[in-house]
Amino acid sequence: MTKAFTPKVVTANALVDGDVIYLTADDRWSRALQEAELIEDEAHAQLRLLEAERQTGTVVGAYLADARAGPGGPEPAHFREAFRARGPSNYAHGKQTELSDV
Amino acid sequence: MYEYGEFDTAYVRDRVAQFRAQVERRLDGSLTEEEFRPLRLMNGLYLQLHAYMLRVAIPYGTLNSRQMRQLAHIAERWDKGYGHFTTRQNIQYNWPRLPEVPDILDALADVGMHAIQTSGNTVRNVTADHFAGAAADEVADPRPYAELLRQWSTDHPEFQFLPRKFKIGVTGAPNDRAVIRSHDIGLELRRDAAGAPGFRVFVGGGLGRTPMVGQELAAFIPERDLLPYVEAILSVYNLLGRRDNKYKARLKIAVHEHGIDTIRALVDEAFEERCAQFSGIDQELLSGIAAQFARPALEQRGVAPYHAAREADPVFRAWADTNLADHADGAHAIVTISLKPHGATPGDATAAQMRVMADLAARYGHDQLRISHEQNVILPHVHRADLPQVHGALKEAGLATANVGLVSDIIACPGMDYCSLATARSIPIAQDIATRFEELKLEHEVGPLKIKISGCINACGHHHVGHIGILGLDRAGVENYQVTLGGDGSETTVIGQRAGPGFSADEIVPAVERLVLAYLDLREGAEETFLELYRRLGAQPFKDALYPEQARRRRDAA
Amino acid sequence: MRHDPSSGPVAARVEALNARYRNHAAIAVLRHALSDPAVGRIALVSSFGAESVVLLHMIAVLDRATPVVFIDTQMLFAETLSYQAEVAAQLGLSDVRTIRARPAALAAHDPDRLLHKSDSDACCALRKAEPLERALAPFDAWITGRKRFQGQTRARLDFFENEADQRIKVNPLAHWRPADVRDYMLNNRLPRHPLVARGYPSIGCAPCTGRVKDGEDPRAGRWRGQEKEECGIHLVNGKLVRGPVADDARQDQEEAAMNVIVTDTGFAADDRGGDFQSPDLPGATALDLAPDADVSVLQGRLEGVDIIRIAFPAFSDGRGFTMARRLRMMGFAGRLRAAGHVIADQYAMARRAGFDEVEITPDLARRQPWEQWQARADWRTHDYQKRLRGLA
Repeated sequence: MTKAFTPKVVTANALVDGDVIYLTADDRWSRALQEAELIEDEAHAQLRLLEAERQTGTVVGAYLADARAGPGGPEPAHFREAFRARGPSNYAHGKQTELSDV
Repeated sequence: MYEYGEFDTAYVRDRVAQFRAQVERRLDGSLTEEEFRPLRLMNGLYLQLHAYMLRVAIPYGTLNSRQMRQLAHIAERWDKGYGHFTTRQNIQYNWPRLPEVPDILDALADVGMHAIQTSGNTVRNVTADHFAGAAADEVADPRPYAELLRQWSTDHPEFQFLPRKFKIGVTGAPNDRAVIRSHDIGLELRRDAAGAPGFRVFVGGGLGRTPMVGQELAAFIPERDLLPYVEAILSVYNLLGRRDNKYKARLKIAVHEHGIDTIRALVDEAFEERCAQFSGIDQELLSGIAAQFARPALEQRGVAPYHAAREADPVFRAWADTNLADHADGAHAIVTISLKPHGATPGDATAAQMRVMADLAARYGHDQLRISHEQNVILPHVHRADLPQVHGALKEAGLATANVGLVSDIIACPGMDYCSLATARSIPIAQDIATRFEELKLEHEVGPLKIKISGCINACGHHHVGHIGILGLDRAGVENYQVTLGGDGSETTVIGQRAGPGFSADEIVPAVERLVLAYLDLREGAEETFLELYRRLGAQPFKDALYPEQARRRRDAA
Repeated sequence: MRHDPSSGPVAARVEALNARYRNHAAIAVLRHALSDPAVGRIALVSSFGAESVVLLHMIAVLDRATPVVFIDTQMLFAETLSYQAEVAAQLGLSDVRTIRARPAALAAHDPDRLLHKSDSDACCALRKAEPLERALAPFDAWITGRKRFQGQTRARLDFFENEADQRIKVNPLAHWRPADVRDYMLNNRLPRHPLVARGYPSIGCAPCTGRVKDGEDPRAGRWRGQEKEECGIHLVNGKLVRGPVADDARQDQEEAAMNVIVTDTGFAADDRGGDFQSPDLPGATALDLAPDADVSVLQGRLEGVDIIRIAFPAFSDGRGFTMARRLRMMGFAGRLRAAGHVIADQYAMARRAGFDEVEITPDLARRQPWEQWQARADWRTHDYQKRLRGLA
């Protein structure tokens, strides 16, 4: 059975403050998942991951996370990535406050 | 309590300076992340889901008001105004920035505190009975030994890169409040026939993926042998522990694979070798330490205001019934301040609350505070006559929840709201269970019941030893909660048994409610606790309550 | 092809190149990229995954001699390796450069090939990031398969990009849509990666590429690392990985460079020049001990031994510290050396455990110069052990 490649985003934590960040198509690191480059080719995903891993002075622990296309940009495919993209559920801390004024 | 001497102060300052340089070297590229990670972990700094997390040690759970105020200051200056007390007598800050962490460590050093060895594959913060030095049932205060072990383990050159983390717990009372059989080394203070203090030693306990109850390695070792004996255990573990698989690297696996008798023989051999290394100076240091832990001079005056308040104020009486424990001195009480208001995050305290607790300790509690592994704060020496004032101040600060030891006094790890290892959330489940039982107004009727929730198999929420344990897992991309029953973390430690298939996040609170209602239904009287009933009837009636469909089918088939 | 040094800094060249080729098709952009002096020496980095065959094919059509860099982590699926050989042969690519981690680095950091279990990030850094960085060093530009359609933000993606003012990144497929990729592969009868057809969602290294059940998400990154023992290897048909590869000449040279000996007084050359013997050899006076050696068999045999060297396969493996302490307790008074992956921050531990010196590679000595070791050369101060044992 052939299965389609699950689209990916490259994500990591920022070295200085640890915040969740995503690699954009124009090679920036964004704090918003919606701005991430949605990668639909596994070979390309591996290369983008390599490019991210080489940025050891900026990011920590880069990896490929599953995502899907949504109306406003990539959306998390798994609840863990949903928490990473949003922040904790017990307080309005992290991205849920800090991104609201972006 | 122990005050840092010149040596400790110089050591901690030097250590902060080292870490400051290490952070700079990480930022300038001299250290790779691979190399930096164990160094930051040795200084308590994790990288979690949303940010760094700094875990600060509260050695053997003891601190004074000045230290508590400094924790409040750190929460406000470098974090988001709160801290999280953990199941291993630490406090965690969830939002520090890497370049500022050395400043936080300096602020801790200002009050004789540190974050050293709160993580990493090394000897972790030594934990102790949170009622130590005050409890009525105590043989001796375990904290001087815990402090000696803290000094011995700090920066021990052999044991900074062990196969895996290493936890030591000490209790001074036969009633184990420090879960010592769930530690790599559990120490129980006892006295020999001549009345001399020493230790019963357990090894190989641990929760996590492969939960095991510690086994007795020695029935009694005299006080003076403590350091060489513990060092012998560590040296055997450092060479014998597995390094090929981190899930099999803990001491418990080595004990399991080689057998307790082999381990004992190896430890005895290493002990002979190590004994010669200690000249007895450590015992002199110990007696100096012990003097600092002498119980404060307790005031002798009447307790009439306490009884008057009990008569006059049912809210005070309910709080006193659940949140006070017997002090060795009858005119005093041990106060447990619940950090589990219904619907709040277990173990969290705001900076303002920390200051209230510090003020109360300074005014009514001989300047002493304790942190329990159950994520509450303790005032160990409060005169009963002062309890109404203490209760009033706690009430104003939202700290007077009367639920210690009850359904809503839940242990919960941070779970997937913060932790990068978690497979599901813990905090919202704890919040929902507590809120539900508050609605039902049942928890005082239910009585002692320990619910413990972990957000992954590593079991930081101690779910294996909860009377009701809840383990959050990821099942096909959905949070799923497994229930274990009959666990016990006391001197009669038992690992709970899995009840059956897990529940979704929506189903888990009703499932727990069915368990508790079944208990109320089946118990012989209010004296029979949940755990006692479970031990009398076994798991089946509880499983029937959890899975009513299956129970019905079985009845129909019969 | 060398770029014209007079053509200026990367940023200016990128701007000019984008203006020049704005309306070109992918193949045209690639053709120009391969020949335009403003681009310079160029390579294609390819994982030989599913869609990379498109660019490989274009390269083959335009200039088969274009360097193609293939990163072999030595943990790849056998299928990837055979697919790589098949594609390279079928397209007639004449300069496929397979790059790997240096054997010395592997021996130092991952001798048991188990690093991925304990630390997948470190494994990636060792086997992928560092080799790629090294492979790209001689190039002024590299070709990627990135496309503009990915992501909803419609982020600007040009044919030519400035990578940190060091290199130009060329994205010939910037304007392609998914259908273009599929059409190109069909029209040119390009072979598909065999594992893609068999339902593997992404093809990385074998141990970290897991089975994916319906409705389940693949584990990700570090988190996935927690689960590694449950996935990966047993799922794979056939052989997984190959053994160590022969050193190339450059690596030989690097390894031949002398190791550095660190003592309290500074860096020095190794006066022993690696002259050590097995402890099994009768009468040996310079012993080499493996990290799992049992030092108690040396009881009574230490007389006449001048020096003992204990191997540290990874800085996170602390067995050597206890071995050293035990040798000292057994009365060994000769020189004791820690050798391998020991970092500056461990120097005080090594000295306190009983070592006299540390032997490190020139590579590590470059990255962690003497000043960083010197910072821990004050190992006698602030020592709780000394105090507890009455040695202060």
